[in-house]
Amino acid sequence: MGPLLYTGAISYETGLWLAFPIGLMFGFILEKAGFGDSRNLTNIFYFRDMRVLRVMFSALVTAMLGLIALSYAGLFDYNILVEDSLMKSYFWPQLVGGVIFGLGFVIGGYCPGTAIVGVASGKIDSIVFLIGMVFGIWVFAFGWPIWGNFYMSSDLGRITLWQFFGTSKDLMALIILVMALFAFVLARLGEKWGPYNE
Amino acid sequence: MDNMDYAKGYWNPYVAGIALGLVLTFTFYVMGTGLGASGAVARTAAVVAHSVSPEMIEKQPYFKGFYREGAPHPFVDWTVIEVIGVFVGGLISVLISRRFAVGVGRGPSAGVGLRLFMAFIGGIIAGVGTRFAMGCTSGQALSGGATMVVGSWVFMMAVFATAFAAAYFVRKEWS
Repeated sequence: MGPLLYTGAISYETGLWLAFPIGLMFGFILEKAGFGDSRNLTNIFYFRDMRVLRVMFSALVTAMLGLIALSYAGLFDYNILVEDSLMKSYFWPQLVGGVIFGLGFVIGGYCPGTAIVGVASGKIDSIVFLIGMVFGIWVFAFGWPIWGNFYMSSDLGRITLWQFFGTSKDLMALIILVMALFAFVLARLGEKWGPYNE
Repeated sequence: MDNMDYAKGYWNPYVAGIALGLVLTFTFYVMGTGLGASGAVARTAAVVAHSVSPEMIEKQPYFKGFYREGAPHPFVDWTVIEVIGVFVGGLISVLISRRFAVGVGRGPSAGVGLRLFMAFIGGIIAGVGTRFAMGCTSGQALSGGATMVVGSWVFMMAVFATAFAAAYFVRKEWS
């Protein structure tokens, strides 16, 4: 029964050994998706090629439904996930962090994971982006007296969308699935629209 | 409009997405947590600063979390090892696809200097953003999104809304 680390089926050391092969698959797929090149990552924002949206939402929905299917099959304890291992939510820091990160994404052309694949692809801009990120993290760390309190504010704890909206997990997943399918249609329409095309 | 030859030869995005989703499902099944990336860069920033001034970094209010008493080296960490895997996996794919090419990804009329300057500035901004959000596209948007975490969806919506709006102002970099 999963999550294997939390049910005691594997040790943390075993988990560490799995990090490399999992990362290997992650990097391989990111490259095959075209995400080693900043142009393929930023084309979404100019409605030229919405592959970022397609890859991301199909991955998100696959994992979301995959975990629910595993839990129905008795192979995954979803309660452990919700109670013990889910990431905590901090509303304002994550909203502000998202705005800042979105700016950095479109200006810099990469996000952290794809920049690593960019380096493997020989892209100089990805190396420069990652060096910039290190500087950015220093800015954050040394600006702690200014925003340290804000960083830990509006702590909502471990909370899911279905708890927040007072519905069931399955219905929430269905809503997200429908939203994703709708987004795939919009992506196609966005490419036909092409507001930045000459 | 450029001919976008660089965008050819990759997997169908839905196939890539489903494959990525299965890897993510497996990761949650094993670890109870998802994939990450920015944490490894944050630890690198800590280690580089620590090599210059260990005492200051061990007391620094943010970085000291990576240097607790009895804790292993900051690089002995799940996400750091996973990110090394991401690099090797990306390299394998690039090599077998015969796509390795030293170059700078930029719009057809954008200069190399402009693009590298923007990559650096964007990197700084993104670095700051990942710390406030406690993650990036991998850890928050994808992994948190798949497990329906409220903060991760707030982050994801903020990222895309901002990037679509800001794209207009940096269109010369990408066209």
